[in-house]
Amino acid sequence: MNTLVQTLIDGLVIGAFYSLIALGYTMVFGIIKLLNFAHGDLYMLGAFIGYSLLSLVTGNGEGAAGLLGIAVVLLLTMTVVGVIGMGIERIAYRPLLLAPRLSILITAIGVSLILENGSMAIWGAQYQVYPLQLPQTGWSFGGAQLTYTQVAIIAISVLLMAGLQLFVRHSIYGKAMRAIALDQTASSLMGIDVHRVIALTFFIGAALAAGAGVMAGAYYGTINFMMGFIIGLKAFTAAVLGGIGNLPGAMVGGLLLGLIETAGTLVLGGSWKDVVAFSILIVILVCKPTGILGEKVTERM
Amino acid sequence: MKRIWQNIGVLSLLLACVVSGCGGGSSGFGAGGSGQGADSGEIVVGAILPMTGNNATDGKDMYNALDMAVKELNEAGGVLGRKLKIEVADDGCDPQMATSAANKLVSLNVTAVVGGYCSGATLPASGVFKNANIPMIVTAANSSKLPAQGYDTLFLINGLVPDQTQKATEYFMAHNAKRIALVHDNSAYAKDMADSAKAQIEKAGGSVIAYEAINPEEKDFSALATKLKGLSPDATYFTGYYAAGGLMIKQFKQKGVPGLFMAGDGSFSEDLIKIAGPENAEGALISATPTAEFIEGAEEFVKEYKQAYNLAPGPFSALTYNGMNLLADALKRANSTDHEAVKKALKETKDFKALGETITFNDQNTLNESNFAILKVENGKFTLAK
Repeated sequence: MNTLVQTLIDGLVIGAFYSLIALGYTMVFGIIKLLNFAHGDLYMLGAFIGYSLLSLVTGNGEGAAGLLGIAVVLLLTMTVVGVIGMGIERIAYRPLLLAPRLSILITAIGVSLILENGSMAIWGAQYQVYPLQLPQTGWSFGGAQLTYTQVAIIAISVLLMAGLQLFVRHSIYGKAMRAIALDQTASSLMGIDVHRVIALTFFIGAALAAGAGVMAGAYYGTINFMMGFIIGLKAFTAAVLGGIGNLPGAMVGGLLLGLIETAGTLVLGGSWKDVVAFSILIVILVCKPTGILGEKVTERM
Repeated sequence: MKRIWQNIGVLSLLLACVVSGCGGGSSGFGAGGSGQGADSGEIVVGAILPMTGNNATDGKDMYNALDMAVKELNEAGGVLGRKLKIEVADDGCDPQMATSAANKLVSLNVTAVVGGYCSGATLPASGVFKNANIPMIVTAANSSKLPAQGYDTLFLINGLVPDQTQKATEYFMAHNAKRIALVHDNSAYAKDMADSAKAQIEKAGGSVIAYEAINPEEKDFSALATKLKGLSPDATYFTGYYAAGGLMIKQFKQKGVPGLFMAGDGSFSEDLIKIAGPENAEGALISATPTAEFIEGAEEFVKEYKQAYNLAPGPFSALTYNGMNLLADALKRANSTDHEAVKKALKETKDFKALGETITFNDQNTLNESNFAILKVENGKFTLAK
């Protein structure tokens, strides 16, 4: 029984990371139909910028950062990476918005490689250890453990996702995003500044990925320049699983993928984890090609 | 006009690729002249090492060790009244680069070759040297595929995978750990070692209660930790590399997975302790060939190495230093630089005392007695485990 509870907790933590990154994929796809393969690398960039800022705050890990320090670093990193995300959109994607889809897809792969190798050049190829030790205490019920850190990660993820959902559903910019997802030309004719809204979408997506990156760095303790690759693929999978272009779908997809993976490890062993997860993905997509929450109509987000 | 400039741009890019490609293969460490390998002048020893790429750090360490050994030998009057000289060829840890690097050394007609870091690169290189009948002393690479080729020119002075898992198994059995969980990372090396460990443990009367794999590019091993906790093994043996090993130690500690934790030589790095956090790493075990600082009688070597190169010896420095000295010893015994004579002298090596090992070759030209040891993290540092 406690193994089951523990697996559930483990799955939720992994799932929270997948969800946060999947949101960025799904938002960008929803609004400009681009699979932004550089998205996982924004997560990596967030982890590294957070690392540099934390090193600055703590004097290379000698002092303690404190809760306020971590919060400031988290917000600052999200802002910086959000702006970088906007810059990428402005330089690499906007000129190609009217080009064939394939060109912009290749550009995204190019941006991904630039971010990976640029980070390697700046921070080095070796594993960096986060200058931060999070408390490992928490609650324990009947053998299953839930640390404060895990609770914080899940809570912050839920807050960010809920905030995003409110923003997209109820703000005027959210309305504009949904309108552009529906019909870009018509939105433009209605006086919506399409480019500005797209830039905002990139800002939000990149900031969420950066938030996940800082939290992953602090939680797991090590970062390196390739850390965004695998998790980017997994988050993309989560977005498709939930129904790409659909925000609640990305959250559900991320959590589900995390749970399937941990359950797969428990039942069949680590080597079968991905086989199980992706078999289930295929089954779900065969039964419902639009994903769990994906809609048949063209309306997204 | 614009198109012409574009074409020129593409052409010059292509040209740059070609030039740098060629340059990469043969980048010079001193030009090889003619007349070497004759019975006068310097004795040229080839070194095949990764001087570029991901493993360049270890390649540089090994080069330093060779350099140090050669300087000492030359200061003592050289070998057979002649000075030694090293000719380095960069294998970049890549099979193709290794083949051309080996061909380069063959064309320089080197007396013998010392080095070999990556097994994947050393395998094809050893074939090139076999064809040229040039003896090769491998000082780091230790895939069991190397001796399995049956080359009479190939000598390995690093312990092999089965030696390592045997040492680990002995430790487990001595500490009454019978129920072992094995974890590898799906790399050829780690899987090979896990398979070997499984065989050894079962032979020694223990049982393998879990045989798991992880993806080293992921960071979350909590599901594995939960599973193993449920099985409560006497010991967990991880055969992969330090980045995943460190995280695993940390997460196992958090989850409270019972039993000993041992990792293979791929995890033998200070970074393992750093990543796990010193308080989590306390008590963790490593099966590895000890680096110079853990070898009794190597204090002098460590001191001189630090003085000369301003850094601590790397994982294969002592072994590579041994390799060069072994070659010098064989040259003296052969009293010749003839390939056949050197090969014969190497084969006849008996109880050659080197840093941390006594070298006698068995039928396969590998160490008769392995040099593996178990290390333990104590107070945030590796120490030899008793």
